[in-house]
Amino acid sequence: MNNESTFAVVAKNISKTFTISEDSHNTVKHRLFNLFNPPRAKEVPALKNMSLDILQGECVGLIGRNGSGKSTLTKLLAGVYKTDTGYINITGSTMLMNLGVGMSHELTARENIYVSGSVLGLKIKEVDAIFDEIVDFAELRDFIDTKIKFFSSGMVARLAFSIAVNAGADIMFLDEIFAVGDMKFQEKAVKVFESSWIKGKTVVLVSHTMDIIQKYCKRSAYLKKGELVFFGETAKAVELYQQDNQ
Amino acid sequence: MKRSNKLERIWLLAKIEFKLRYYENKLGLLWALIKPISDIFIYYIAFQKILKQGIPNFVSFLFIGLILWNFFVESTSGTVQILSTKKYLYEYTNMNKIEIYLSTVLANCIGFFFNLLFFIIFFQFIDKGTMGLSWHALYIVLVFFNLVVLALAFSIILSNIYVVAKDITQIWIVVTGLGFWISPIVFKLDNFREALPGLDYLNPVAGIIINARNVMLYQRMPEWNLFFFDFAYALILLLIGIFLLNKVGSKASEKL
Repeated sequence: MNNESTFAVVAKNISKTFTISEDSHNTVKHRLFNLFNPPRAKEVPALKNMSLDILQGECVGLIGRNGSGKSTLTKLLAGVYKTDTGYINITGSTMLMNLGVGMSHELTARENIYVSGSVLGLKIKEVDAIFDEIVDFAELRDFIDTKIKFFSSGMVARLAFSIAVNAGADIMFLDEIFAVGDMKFQEKAVKVFESSWIKGKTVVLVSHTMDIIQKYCKRSAYLKKGELVFFGETAKAVELYQQDNQ
Repeated sequence: MKRSNKLERIWLLAKIEFKLRYYENKLGLLWALIKPISDIFIYYIAFQKILKQGIPNFVSFLFIGLILWNFFVESTSGTVQILSTKKYLYEYTNMNKIEIYLSTVLANCIGFFFNLLFFIIFFQFIDKGTMGLSWHALYIVLVFFNLVVLALAFSIILSNIYVVAKDITQIWIVVTGLGFWISPIVFKLDNFREALPGLDYLNPVAGIIINARNVMLYQRMPEWNLFFFDFAYALILLLIGIFLLNKVGSKASEKL
């Protein structure tokens, strides 16, 4: 076997440019009437040419100021967005987590648990086995057959977090997730985060809290205006980031 | 390597989709029946009582045509916006989008299965003077499979066009409205072929309806030319769809 098998994500020469058109040419009618008058489009280079790789079981930090391309990079690495250039090899299922995670508001909590669990690669029987854990962790026992559109945003976030903690994909992209729930829930969240994710899963951690990054990540990437300035030891990356903030 | 849970997932999504569609309202599954019955009632009055087409067992004739056509319309019109409504499934993971289509079409198949069951009961036991079913009816499985592939292909193509052109929803409503009248659903087959020659090949649903009637109503074999032609038709469209899905659909999460 080659070396690549120990990598969770390998990204080579990737870049991403968003095209933002000023007027919305997204209907057939519009396109026909404006055949000779193409929309003025603005190109926004969100990520400039970069390469990086993430090892299996590694926890990698991702830091940078607002608009530096952190979210775009996580979406590319998770396979949600398609890269414009280069290629990305992903080994295993991925999950992107920020405050609202892939759940349908038309479905009940129970259905969402099964759907999400299945999308994350679990079999129905495996979801059965962890179902109670998920419900109890989210503290939603009484609302299990309620559609989540009737949930408060805190309840939805707790449910999402609980699914992610208990089901979890092979590679987790965590975008500022330690802001969910009350203090007690956060404590609980940090505990399982340490026990189940740091040990055993590949994690990419996006955060503005340097303490968290320094605590969990050996390696970190520092982004600035869409460019990968530094990828390596966390201490160095944090130092660069703090210099930039001054 | 863990064994894939793909099939399980598609089945789970299909069940939930089916439940959402039919159990959300009080009449539930009855809705799946009311639609074809009310349609049959209308066309029976128009084409048999007023226009006097004189097709024997016209209700059964309409019934089988309509449930196939309705399946096609529901699986296509109903899924034009699927990449938008099911965004929650692929927005945060690297799930394969084709599974979303398969599960939705499967949910429609469950609905069709109930319709077909009602048709068979009606045709075999209630409608007087029919030939009854024979072993030829088994071919309906293949004919219906053809329709499923075709519907899946259109579903993928349309929903990908939707990513770049939102008004495909309205356009497709017009196309299916026209499609109903250029398919041999309410017309006598001979009249249809005489008035619109070639259309039984050009319109991919037409051949499917013709062959479904051959095997279900008339104890005949399918018209093989038409049968193979429509299969090839559906497969080519499916390939185009998959090509589009890789080209356009992969950008759905940023465009929608």
